[in-house]
This record gives sequence, C-alpha cells and structure tokens, in this order.
Amino acid sequence: MITHEQIETLIRAALPDAVVETGDRTGTLDHYNLLVVSRGFAGMPLLDRNRLIYSALGDALKDGRLHAVEIKTAVPESGS
Amino acid sequence: MTPEMKSAIDAEIQANKILVYGKGTKTMPRCGFTLETIQFFQAFGYPFEVVDALADADKRQALAEMTDWPTLPKVFIAGKFYGDTDILEPMRESGELQKILDDTFAESRI
Repeated sequence: MITHEQIETLIRAALPDAVVETGDRTGTLDHYNLLVVSRGFAGMPLLDRNRLIYSALGDALKDGRLHAVEIKTAVPESGS
Repeated sequence: MTPEMKSAIDAEIQANKILVYGKGTKTMPRCGFTLETIQFFQAFGYPFEVVDALADADKRQALAEMTDWPTLPKVFIAGKFYGDTDILEPMRESGELQKILDDTFAESRI
C-alpha cells in the first residue's frame, strides 16, 4: 500500500514542479490512476514521460507497495 | 539476458504485426490491464497475438531491459515498441493509431 502523499513525494523528487492527482482504482491503495502535470514534459514523447514516472516510482513498484498504475501526463497550459 | 532469449523475443516480435506481452492469455487474462489491452485491440478488428509473460521471470526481465519499460502489458506493432494503452489511447483518439495499423496491415496485401 502507498498513499497519495508518498506517490507525490516520489514523483516530485524527479519533477519538482509536478502537480500529481491520484485515484485509487481498487480501494486497496496499490492500483492507482495518476495524472501528472509538469513543465518538464514539454517536448517529451509519451513513452519517455511514462518511463520517467516509472523510474521515479521504481522502488515502490519493485517492493510491491504499488502494484499497477495507469498514467496520464500533461504540460501546464500557461507557459508561466 | 541470454542471446537465445533475445533471439526468441525478436522472432516473436517479427512474427506478429500486433503483439501484446501480458499476464495471462487472450481467453484467460490474469490482469485487468491485460484484459483492457485485449479489448482495446479487439475494437480495431485486426489480428493480434497475446503472449503470456507471467510464468517466465527471465523473459519478463529480458523484455524490461529491451524496452526500458518495467510493467506488463507491453505492446509491439510492426516490430516497434509502443508501451501500453496509456500511450496507445491518446494515439487512438488522435487517429494516429488507426493510420499506423492500416499501414501495417496494408503492406501484407501487396
């Protein structure tokens, strides 16, 4: 099991400006929907965006706290 | 990964225009994401193959190294790695995926 705050902390270690929304798919805190919004994704192909998030979540995925994630990514609409 | 494992995976990827490495099989998927991926491709109507990678830890490890992608399912189309439906769904919405599939299967009719 892993909390929203823990997921957010792991992702922000890789993408400090990331805004992270999580949804618990199963009520068991180990299958999540993620929406990650970061300027760091600008110009980055979707495959590489998701690789970056998998890498940020690596330990939690390996030790089983997090079983599966569905990932959506976006760049903030305003450039500011 | 052994050269034999890499050759076996390369051969599978070449032999199937759409190949899904998943958990379970088409008729008995063992993971919600694998089931979603099967339903995703059924909607297109083109033939696709699902290979169960759950039972073979060495193969799962080799696939992860080859693709730099840690999770199953993993989707290959015309030999190219496309990740999973997190990547393919936006490509479907934009029409890009339909074009890739149409092109992929058009070649075989020539």
